Amino acid sequence: MTTEVANLIFNGNTLAYLGIAIAAIAGIGSAYGVGIAGQAANGVVAEDPGKFGQALLLQALPGTQGIYGLLIAFLIMVKIGALGGDPKDLTIMQGAALMMAGIPIGLVGIFSGIAQGKTAASGIMLISKRPEEIAKGMVYTAMVETYAVLALLISFLMWMSVAV
Amino acid sequence: MSIARMEKLTVIGLSKDRDSLMEELMRLGVVQITAQDAKLTDDEWRELVAADGNEEAVAKWEGQISRVAQAIETLQKYSDMKKPLIRTRLAVRQRDFDRVMDREVEIRKKADHVLSLSDQLTEVKNRINRAETQKLSLLPWKDYDLSLSLTETKTVRVVLGAIPAASDPEGFRSELEEKAPDTESELVGSDKDQHYFALFLLKAEEEKANEVLRDFSFSRIAFPEFEGMVSQCIESCEKETEELLQQESELIKLIKTEEQYEPDLEFLHDGLVMKRDRQKIRSRLLKTESVFYLEGWVPRMAVDRVEMLLRVKECWYEAVEARKGEETPVLLLNNAFNSPFESVTRLYALPDSRGLDPTPFFSFFYALFFGMMLSDAAYGLIITIATLIIKKKFRLEGMMKKMISMFFYCGIATIFWGVMFGGYFGDLITVVADTFFGKEVVIQPLWFNPLEDPMTLLIFSFILGTIHLFLGMGLSAYMSIKDGRPLDALFDVGFWYLLLVGLVMFLCGKMAGLLGPVPTNIGMWMAVIGAVGILLTGGRDKKGFGRITGGLGSLYNITSYLSDVLSYSRLLALGLATGVISTVFNTLGSLAGGGVLGMFAMLIAFVVGHTYNLAINSLGSFVHSCRLQYVEFFGKFYESGGEAFDPFSENTKYIQILREEK
Repeated sequence: MTTEVANLIFNGNTLAYLGIAIAAIAGIGSAYGVGIAGQAANGVVAEDPGKFGQALLLQALPGTQGIYGLLIAFLIMVKIGALGGDPKDLTIMQGAALMMAGIPIGLVGIFSGIAQGKTAASGIMLISKRPEEIAKGMVYTAMVETYAVLALLISFLMWMSVAV
Repeated sequence: MSIARMEKLTVIGLSKDRDSLMEELMRLGVVQITAQDAKLTDDEWRELVAADGNEEAVAKWEGQISRVAQAIETLQKYSDMKKPLIRTRLAVRQRDFDRVMDREVEIRKKADHVLSLSDQLTEVKNRINRAETQKLSLLPWKDYDLSLSLTETKTVRVVLGAIPAASDPEGFRSELEEKAPDTESELVGSDKDQHYFALFLLKAEEEKANEVLRDFSFSRIAFPEFEGMVSQCIESCEKETEELLQQESELIKLIKTEEQYEPDLEFLHDGLVMKRDRQKIRSRLLKTESVFYLEGWVPRMAVDRVEMLLRVKECWYEAVEARKGEETPVLLLNNAFNSPFESVTRLYALPDSRGLDPTPFFSFFYALFFGMMLSDAAYGLIITIATLIIKKKFRLEGMMKKMISMFFYCGIATIFWGVMFGGYFGDLITVVADTFFGKEVVIQPLWFNPLEDPMTLLIFSFILGTIHLFLGMGLSAYMSIKDGRPLDALFDVGFWYLLLVGLVMFLCGKMAGLLGPVPTNIGMWMAVIGAVGILLTGGRDKKGFGRITGGLGSLYNITSYLSDVLSYSRLLALGLATGVISTVFNTLGSLAGGGVLGMFAMLIAFVVGHTYNLAINSLGSFVHSCRLQYVEFFGKFYESGGEAFDPFSENTKYIQILREEK
């Protein structure tokens, strides 16, 4: 009985589904990041409603981690046929590899999203004083994103390497 | 190409010609007049000259400008006319401008009229506020059925007031009854803040009653401005508000009837701005009793025109080239393809006037990287067409114009990479053909699909990055040689070229077996020579032990080159992001299957999804393409810190006066 339940839970497919979930939680980072930046943006726009557009640009930047997470989650779903309603049977190894593939972007996404949100928030403070320097604020914010991009790349290469 | 050469202009002329010369210089708009504060503290000069300037006139024009600006603002606020998406200056000929300015007195009257309407409107709004506040203060007393004018009789004083909501009204009344038995109290009403009481105090008991009032923090409320019953007062407040609202809408209507004069006001505004600027610039001039003195910078290509003007005005002048190493204002000059990318350079910081304008070196890479990161032909087409429409529809100037032109080129690059990688709204065509027509249509990429062969694109990205970086290092070497330090160029760039190229050759030969043994060995020796060279020369600025550690430190920089190259992996990653997110939305749209409902779902997913994807990913491509220039490329050589060339010109807000080229 127990082995049956264990087999039911610990098979390749559930592991791959776990990978999808892990990749998608990168959105936590983006939610936090966009939220932090949004708080700063509200403060700045309260002073000068004309800065709405610029603040919005900066606020959007930490949103990408969620997209990267979605990207990997979607790719894993495609690979295991979860979207067509005709899932493939995966071995434990395949499932585990796909699960691992979700970890880099899932984990890095959370922390880099939060960090990027803080940088974006200070970038919004920057444009409240010097709106002409928005590009610098954006570049500082993009510096953080580099690590999310690298994690995305590794997640993607791991996903590539799994043959199903 | 690159940074315009500047000449230093010195002019001495007769004071009587000053105003007309200033007017002509403003029209030319090519001379940056510099402040001469240093000369005023210089002993040799101080005895001869004094600062020119006419603060009084400047203040006078400032005052008028702010009035006209306020009138324009009022008209814009209440006008029904549609505001354009992008505000541009109106181009007019001098004749037409003068014709409008002939009516200056009339236009000024209009401005005053609009301002007085606006003042009346403010007044009416204030009165509305006051009436509303009064009504609010009366509302708790609406059940009080005595006249507000009645405040005392011979023996009784009428006191209105309130105790905080937290106090117990019954307790208050019983306490009052106990201490002042002949006092009547009536609870008129309560709200969430207070209980409102009307008290009829026997004057003889007043002191005792006052103690109770103090204990309960009773606050007296008086209505000196009202007479009669409360309900009547409330009514009259409401009536007043209504009348005032009527007046308000009439005033707004009146303001609206003036809206056709807004363009005239804009002409007046800019006319005044030019007058002010002509007075303001005088603070940068020096004067004696009969002559004035000015210094400034002129781009060399415009020197002829300025000299011609100065000869006509019979001024003494001298235009000399900037001394070697002297800092001049920076004006970037580039050809039609490169100049839009000056906006990227400007967003970072202008180059040092003695340095190098990086724009022509990175503009091609900028568009290339942007295109690779967006890499969808349909998106590229949208950007290209949108920028073309904006350029056609609006008369853009300055940074805005440059930015839009830059995105035009970036759009074209995006189309190019989209075709190469086979992205047309992601895989929209395949999905639509499959879902609605049951056919299999795949548009083959011209080169390859990055999703199927990401390693190739990753390596390609690294190669592009290496070329980009090597170009930056090459520029650094070029600048060293230009400054007469060829050895620095060899030590700081040459050895690195040797080391990096050698290392790549060696690794390609050893690990991947791409090269034969001879090139592999050559590579190894190149790398060794480079590394030894760096080790020996890296610490040459330092002394003693520092020379050795300095060399080691320099060699350790190899990690930074590694991370620089790896940074270009974003070209692949962001390109994939665009493609996969498109696919996500297309798949979402196809989930409802074929048929009318399916088409509806597809349409929604298409519009919402691709708008979002285009917006977020073009933002990403813009930012990351900037980053690759700013951090990786500029980091290798760029010296920034120049001051922008800011000529004395017609710096107007609404109108641009066109001049016929002579």
